[in-house]
Amino acid sequence: MNFPALRLVEERAHSPQGAPVSVRELSIAFGQNQVLDRLSLHIEPGEFVAIVGRSGCGKSTLLRAVMGLIQPGGGSIDVDLNAARLVFQEPRLLPWASVRENVAVGAPAGLDAAERDRLVDARLAEVGLADKAEQWPAALSGGQRQRVALARALISQPRLLALDEPLGALDALTRIEMQALVETVWASEGFSALLVTHDVAEAVALADRVVVMEAGRIALDLPITVPRPRRHGDAELAALEGLILDRLLGR
Amino acid sequence: MTRGAGWKESPLVPAIVPVGLLVVWQLASTTGLLPSQILPAPTAVVKAAAELTADGELIHHLAVSTARALTGLVVGGSISFALGLLCGLSPFARRLLDPTLQMVRTIPHLALLPLVILWFGIGEQAKILLVAWGIFFPIYLNTYHGVVSVDPQLIEMGRVYGMKRWELFRRIIFPGALPSILVGLRFGLGIMWLTLIVAETIAANSGIGYMATQAREFSQTDIIVLAIFVYAGLGKLADSLTRALEHRLLRWNPAYARA
Repeated sequence: MNFPALRLVEERAHSPQGAPVSVRELSIAFGQNQVLDRLSLHIEPGEFVAIVGRSGCGKSTLLRAVMGLIQPGGGSIDVDLNAARLVFQEPRLLPWASVRENVAVGAPAGLDAAERDRLVDARLAEVGLADKAEQWPAALSGGQRQRVALARALISQPRLLALDEPLGALDALTRIEMQALVETVWASEGFSALLVTHDVAEAVALADRVVVMEAGRIALDLPITVPRPRRHGDAELAALEGLILDRLLGR
Repeated sequence: MTRGAGWKESPLVPAIVPVGLLVVWQLASTTGLLPSQILPAPTAVVKAAAELTADGELIHHLAVSTARALTGLVVGGSISFALGLLCGLSPFARRLLDPTLQMVRTIPHLALLPLVILWFGIGEQAKILLVAWGIFFPIYLNTYHGVVSVDPQLIEMGRVYGMKRWELFRRIIFPGALPSILVGLRFGLGIMWLTLIVAETIAANSGIGYMATQAREFSQTDIIVLAIFVYAGLGKLADSLTRALEHRLLRWNPAYARA
């Protein structure tokens, strides 16, 4: 593990590179089940927003709707999908393609092979897998596969990165490393980030703002002003985490 | 490790039983225990092979049989592969064609032999039609199954990452279906030889099966046994080639990568 963990993180103004997201009065129903109920959410360019909530609260549906995978039943979503990339909960790598080819899946169209290889190498180095380019995905660990998936999402220099519980399946230590990696690339690239997670500590550690969802609506919208780099186990973060958990657990 | 157990690790261990059987067979023949009208000695089979190779007859029949097998494979294989892809990819094609194909599948293709002889006599079309028919269903079914069981999460990923239809097929659906398609090919090749043996034995005037039928007329058991071994060798060769193909094309898959 030799990726440049928190080295690049510094106090930064929201970069103009990030794309804004505007969700207005969004409603989505699956049959009788009202999953999202007139939900509005705005993400500033370069802002890191985390959405937490219990299973079935509609957080994944919101993210999939923002990414154009689900048609809204009502309301509107304003987002530039050409500049957006999605990291799934599973790595979803092509098992028959090398790590290099997998990362190249995300590369912008129309590049010549040499240029594409150069971009892939740079991205793999960024996620700490420079020496794995010619491996099959089957030879990698779960954490490494998810890092390849992250490299695939980053190679097109997205202005919005949507993450659908991407670290949920990883063990605790790998997850902390991955969180640091996500924060590092976010800080250096300046994209807007929308992270859906069930891990409140993760949301509090990474986000500028944590949005708590309940039954298809926003129950709490909490800015996290703790300066970066943030340390795991920080008392201020723990207090915020407690606040959110109380809300989620109805205490 | 105990002393003296080393020979158990030898790569020759799998050869012990077949070589032993050959030796017993040869001994039984030489001592007259096994009459040559029942089964000729292994040496007699080798001698027959040498003679038939020398006068070119074996090569001629072998070439004829191989040409039939390959023609049937290309005809039946390409049609079934195309239909398997079509029904796998298009729900409409599936509804239109699959029920009919499943119905036709229940006909054992060798049951068509009398009809096919009636149509084509002992001409080449008869054999090629039967071989193509025999190959059709294993390849159709496995291609179709391979295409529909490609991981939908990967297809969604491809769409989200901007792949167009052809690219989606080339990079995700086809490679995802390939393991299943190759299983179909292996089954198909097995049926291919089986069909050819039956068709050539009953309705042909050339080919390995014809050679065996002719030999039966004159009680030449050595040639009959030779024909059986030739068919076995051809079947084994086809199987080895597909396995080599699997190792090459599926080397990303840990289940195929070893060995």
